[in-house]
This record gives sequence, C-alpha cells and structure tokens, in this order.
Amino acid sequence: MRRQFLKKAHEALANPTLQKALDQNAERRGRGRERAFSTLPNPEHTRQEAAQIRRQTIDNLEKVLAQFIKNAQENGIRVHGPLSAHAAALTAAEIAKEHNARLIVKSKSMVSEEIEVNQKLEAAGMRVVETDLGEFIVQLRGEAPGHIITPAIHLLREDVAKTFTSELNVPHSTDVAEMTETARRVMRKDFLTAEVGITGVNFGVAETGTVCIVTNEGNGRMVSTLPPVHIALMGLERLVPSLENLAVLLQVLSRAATGQNLTSYVSLIQRPRAGDEPDGAEERHLILVDNGRLAMHRSQLQEALLCLRCGACLNACPIFREIGGHAYGSVYPGPIGSLISPGLFGIEQYGHLSKASTLCGACTEVCPAGIDFTKLLLRTRGEYIKSAPQPAWLRAGMPLFTWMMASPGRYRRVQSVAAFFLRFFPNRDGWLYRLPPPLSGWTRSRDFPPLAAEPFHARFHRLKPAGNGPTKDGEKLQETKTQEVEPLQDDLIVRFQEEVERVDGEFVHCSSEELPHKVAEFLVSIETDQILGWGEQSQELITIMDRIREAGIQILEAEIPRSEDSDTRYETLAGLDQAPVGLTTCLAGLADTGTVILPSGAGLSSLTSLLPRTHMVLLRAKDIYPSFDHWIRAGGREAIVSSSQLTLITGPSRTADVEMILTIGVHGPERLVVFTID
Amino acid sequence: MRIQLFITCMIDSLFPQVGEAVFEVLSLAGAEIHFPTDQTCCGQPTYNAGYRDHAKSSAKRTIEILTRSDDPVVIPSGSCALMIRKEYLELFREDPPWQKRAQALASRTYELSEFFVDVLGHTEFQASFDGRIVYHPSCHLLRGLGVQTQPLDLLKQVEKAEVISLSPDCCGFGGVFAIDHAEISSEMMNRKLDAIERSDADVVVGADVSCLIQIEGGLRRRGSSIRCAHIAQIIAMKEPGLR
Repeated sequence: MRRQFLKKAHEALANPTLQKALDQNAERRGRGRERAFSTLPNPEHTRQEAAQIRRQTIDNLEKVLAQFIKNAQENGIRVHGPLSAHAAALTAAEIAKEHNARLIVKSKSMVSEEIEVNQKLEAAGMRVVETDLGEFIVQLRGEAPGHIITPAIHLLREDVAKTFTSELNVPHSTDVAEMTETARRVMRKDFLTAEVGITGVNFGVAETGTVCIVTNEGNGRMVSTLPPVHIALMGLERLVPSLENLAVLLQVLSRAATGQNLTSYVSLIQRPRAGDEPDGAEERHLILVDNGRLAMHRSQLQEALLCLRCGACLNACPIFREIGGHAYGSVYPGPIGSLISPGLFGIEQYGHLSKASTLCGACTEVCPAGIDFTKLLLRTRGEYIKSAPQPAWLRAGMPLFTWMMASPGRYRRVQSVAAFFLRFFPNRDGWLYRLPPPLSGWTRSRDFPPLAAEPFHARFHRLKPAGNGPTKDGEKLQETKTQEVEPLQDDLIVRFQEEVERVDGEFVHCSSEELPHKVAEFLVSIETDQILGWGEQSQELITIMDRIREAGIQILEAEIPRSEDSDTRYETLAGLDQAPVGLTTCLAGLADTGTVILPSGAGLSSLTSLLPRTHMVLLRAKDIYPSFDHWIRAGGREAIVSSSQLTLITGPSRTADVEMILTIGVHGPERLVVFTID
Repeated sequence: MRIQLFITCMIDSLFPQVGEAVFEVLSLAGAEIHFPTDQTCCGQPTYNAGYRDHAKSSAKRTIEILTRSDDPVVIPSGSCALMIRKEYLELFREDPPWQKRAQALASRTYELSEFFVDVLGHTEFQASFDGRIVYHPSCHLLRGLGVQTQPLDLLKQVEKAEVISLSPDCCGFGGVFAIDHAEISSEMMNRKLDAIERSDADVVVGADVSCLIQIEGGLRRRGSSIRCAHIAQIIAMKEPGLR
C-alpha cells in the first residue's frame, strides 16, 4: 500500500493539470475560509464552542445516538442500524427493490462512497445518478472523487468539456455556466421520475430527531423532496445534541468547507410528507452506518470522530496540495483520511498514510471541530510500526539511535567517528551532496551539512558570558473580551441586505402598501404568464395574488401526485417545472447570513422555491433576526419541529465544482429576490 | 536569572557556532547559563517516527537531567521545545507519575525567542544587519507552541535590517519524512525556495535549525548565494550561514 501511495504521489506530482487545480483549490479555499470566519463577531470563540459541542457529543455518543434514534422514529422516520458497510448498502438496495425502483437520484454523500452503495444498487439492476455536479462529472468518467467537498478537483474545464461531449453527446464547450446548464437539463427528467432519492446527512439533531442536509446546488432538496422514497445515509457519529448546538456547528461548517457564511440550502427534515402536504417524500428511511465507528470510539483515535467532513484540512494540507486526493487510495483523503482510513478500514492497509505528514499542524489550525491532528497522526504511527513491516534502516536505526543517545559518552564517540567518515563523501563548500541510502533520499534535492569536528558541548567550557544586559519582568497581554450588544432592527435590515446581496441575492425594500404593486411590476418585467405560488394564508397575500391575477398572470399551487398516481406524476411535475417564477413568504430572515427560512405544510410546497428559475420571497422586516441561534430561541424551535421539512435558503443555488469557478443557478433557482416589507 | 540551556543534538552535532551564538545572546540578556553536560537528545526523532518506547527512554533521561534544578529550561528550537512542552505529556498519558514530572518540566520550558520576549522582556540587543531579513515561521514553533510574534519582535529591533515574514507554509522537512517521502518533501521545499528567491532575501532567518537545514541545503543545491541563519546568529551579529 505504501509503495502504491508513493507511486500515485509521483504521478500526481508529474501531472501539471492536477498541480494547477490543486494550487487553485488551496489558495481560493484558504482565502475564502479566512474571509468567512472574519465575519463572525468572535471567530475563535465560535470555533471553540463548536469543538466543545463535538467533544461533548462524542463523549456521550451512545446516549446521544439513542436519543436521536428514538426521536427520529417517533417522527415517523424509519431508522435502520447502526450497520456495517455491507449491511447498510444491502438495506438501501432492499428498500429500493421493495419500491420497484429503476432510477435512483443521489446527492453527495461520502458515507455512500464508503459503503459502496452505488455498486449494490447497480448490481440489482437499478440506475443511479449522482446529481452533485462534481460527483456527476466523476461518475461520467468512472472515477472516484478527488476531494470530499470538491469531487472534480483534479479536473480542468477542458477535461469536463471533453467528458460532456463524449458522454452526453453535447457540443463541445468550455464555458462553465454552459456546462452547468447542460447538467441541469440532463438531470431534470431524472429528478422528476426517480422512484428513490438517496442523500447523506450532515447532522442528526438528537433532541428533535431532525435530519439536517446541507447542499449548494439544490440537488439535496430535489432528491429529498421529489421522489416518493427518501433514504438518508448517516455515519452514526454525525450527531448534535440540540438545535442551539446545530446553529453553532452550521456557523463553522460552511465557513470551513467552502468559505460561505452559510451554504445555499440547509434542509431540516422532520418527518415524511403529511396527509395535507403538497410534497415531500412519503417514506423516509435513515440508515445509520457503523462500519468501524464504534470500535474507533473505543480506540485512541476516538477524537477523529469529531470530524464534520468540511474538508478544510485537505485545503490547508501542504501535502494534499502536492499530491491530491487519489494518491491516498481511500474514500477519505488528506489529513482526516490519514486518521479515519486506518481507524475505520484497518491500520495494516492504511497506517502508512500517517507517515505522509510533516506534522506541520496546518490541519489542526483550520479544523472547526478541534481535532488535534498531529497528536492522532503520531498515535497512528505508533500503532502502524507495530502492525506492519518497516524499512530495515528504521527498524535498525531507531533502536541504535536511542541506544546512542542513552549515554553521553556513546553519543560523543559516535559523533566523532561519524564526523570522520562523512569527510570521505563528496562535498561542495563543505556540505555533502551525495550520500548512500537511505540518506540518498535527502541528497536527491538537498545538500547535507557536515558533522562538526568539535561539537557544542566540547566548546561550552570555553565560552565567556558576553555582559549583563538589564532584565525585567515580562508583561503578558490581557485578553480583551468582546461584549456582544443586541443590534437594532434597522441595523439588522442593513446587514441582512448586505448579506443577501453578497451571496448574489436581490433585495427590495418597500412598505406593505407598495408591495402588491412592486411584486406585480417585477413579474410583468420578466414577462411571465404563469407562476407557482403558496396558498393564500394572509390578507396581505390575498391582495398580492389578486394584483398578480389582475396583471394576467396565472398562479399555480404546486402539488406532487402521490406515488399511487404514478401515471400522472411525471406530467404534473414536468408541467410545474415550466413555471419561471415561484412566490413564497417566509418565517424569518437571518441578518448574519442573508438567509430566509421557509416552512412546509398544507399549501406550502417546497417546489415553489426550488423548481423555478426565479424565487421571490416576501419577508416582514420585523421577522429579521440577528442569527439562526437567535431565531431558534425566539420560537424557531417550534417551527422546526412542526414542519415536515423546513428550509434555510441563502442566495440562489450555486456551484463551484469546475475549477472553483462560481456559477449561479444549478438545480435550484438562479435568482432569489427578497421583498422586505416594513 | 539562572537558566538551563538545552542545546539540542542537532545544534550540538552540526552547528556548534549556532550554539555559541545562543550562549552569547542569552548572556547578553543577563541570563546566568547552566549547561547540563550529560544532555543528548530529547527523543523527538524516534517519537515522530512512531517508536514510542524508544522515545520514552530518551524522554525519561531528559526529564531526569532537566529536573535536577528548578531553573527554567531554554531551548533554541521550536521543535524540541514542543516535544518537551507538549509531546512528553502525550507520551506519558498512561503513566501518571512520569506525566506529572513532565508537566512540571513543561511549565518552565521555553523556546529561545519566547524566553526573551515573554519571560525576560528583553528585545534590544544593539544588533544590526545591513540587508533584507526573511523570516521563516517554523510549523512547530508557530502552530505547535503558538509563538508567532516573538521572533519578529526581536528581529525588528535589529538596526538597518528590513524584516519580512514568509507565509507560514511547511518547508517539507518533517524529520524522517524528508527521507522516506523524499519526492514530496522536495516539492514542498521547492515552493519555499521559490518564495525565498522571489523575496529578494539577503538571509533566511528561523528559530529551528531542522527547517533551516532543509532550506539552506536546498538553496545550496540550487547554487543560490542566499544563506540561512538561526535567529541567535543574527542577534549576535554573526555572518549568515549554518555552521
């Protein structure tokens, strides 16, 4: 395995395309992460809080897991497991078979790669479509993802263009927006016809049994809303005790992963579609994956279970930057992979990865979960040398080195003998440039200094103090604590607008009298004759809807036919998909991220904010809260628990999966217009 | 103030003149220097290679030697200081009596620049250097010990010098890594060397000779005339170049 690693690393270093892509990744992601964290009032405090939440969760793993399972089941989610990789994949395949599934759409999930669920489903004759753009590309190419967040990291747009031309039969184009549009078009019918949707899970909230899924492109929402059956795959450690804790972890996850203050879509799934609801999966399964996690929980690598799979350690790692993801030979590459690959899949096969590190600590520095990577890499090394054969020079050299260092006399004798012999090797200005193996590894690119003829300890007795400078007591800097002040509502609106616009959303501020006119005006301006709309819950909305109808625009209320009406299902969905605009209200706005929060329920279709190219959302200015956490405490908790599926929307859908070029509008809307009403 | 100097096996064996510069600047700052002559290696090379039992024997020996007195221990290396300050506690996490002794030692162990700035509050050495000093923040010093500003505080007092800092990327040394992952190590080094050459450096200064061997070894191989210096060499106004 080690030989394989070095071989693949060598190939990666010789691949200029990959090198360029990896440099771009490291630089952009690094900068993005720093910028995003700098928008927090006290970034270090939030990171520590997040790490503490993870620590407490993993410390009480069994209890938190039991509570989560119980609550999820009470919500009507069918929970399976915890299961091994094989059993988990088999369970997913059996559920799909029970529903006679032919087509399965899937959003990005590392645990699904881990348990190789696609292979099981395909073996059972089903077609599986990866819908995350990066995953879609690597699936077309028959490759494994090169990065846990950016699967197609190893490819440049020319590569993607070639793949699209040959696999999708489209004209050659290296325009990233055009390629993204192709992916949207190609996958649309799959979304609308798939019988089963498979997603991963970012967090399971124990106190409420909520399943939280985070995606940028909108594919996670499509996959968990459109098909009648939803299967969520979850590593059993991906838990968080409470909604307040979730708010903290969401603050760090997107920042660390993609440099966003919040990912475009955060779905909080509570239960399957209720009787009076217009959409949502009718059956929701949750498959908990153990696959070595509980054993790891009992091992000295337990701390690696704190991981949120943000990928920040990959982006910060100077070695990942040189060799990319594929060289690691595991689903999980980079620093975190060097811990969990040996931890979950075996030290004999993957222990060598722990040595592919200089222990520089860049991973520890950026980890939002507080994993001490260097500590764990060193522990893994300690195990690895016992479980796998080591090179002879280390096996012999390490005991010899220790034996020498155990006695100052021996140390000195070896020093003088070695200094003598090193003189016979070729040198340039005294530094050696060719040494025998294993030191030839050093001299392939570097000169090595000669050993001193007279070491320091032999000189010490001759040294004279150089004089007495003044000494004084050092002063330690006092840490200043920042006082958080409750912001004023007007400031909140300003901040909200800034954030909405920063994530490419549009902001319109108006009075409630102006609103019907403004909305109608907007719709007329984009020349639409049909929109999707929510049920008329308020007088305000009724007035607006009337105005829209007066302008000659038809308002459709989206409703997915239930699975028993499968004959009309596709036609109905395809019809709804034609509407260019969706109009919804929302429960709240979040100033720190420019987010709007949409509930589900009777008359409140998720598709309204998902299928059309433009999503218009009405927000009352008084419903703007400083942050997700504030909103949860001010009554949001009840809304989350009572909605089958609540969605946090931050800007239009987006991707940066090809060369990290930001493209707005993937599977979800490409325009988000927030009408804020005084 | 009386201190114990732990010179590190690398400086002892490879660069005794760096050791002399360390002695000189410590005495300039008014420290009374005690050098336990039976010191050898702290055990970091074996520890980082995964050979914990071997590392333990070196660590116990080092703890014995450095706890014969209660004087603070000063180490001119971020990496070795990190070993004693942090890694000994991990090494003895299942051996409470030794962990306690390690803890006591850790609490009075300092890296050189940290000792000058945080303990002595002494940054003015009347040193001068006519040229551009490029500081390399070594990983173990910066991220391991959290020593970020202290070396720069000292360098900024050097007259005539223009001081800039390199970005805190690893130089690719990593101990055994430099040999058994030589190709990757070399690529990481090349990035660092390119940055140094672009920076128009007259000297590359650091507080860890291990990284500096990698950097100067690479610069020499490239035929560059730029040399490295331990921070003590600059403060003691010695000519750059590891020796």
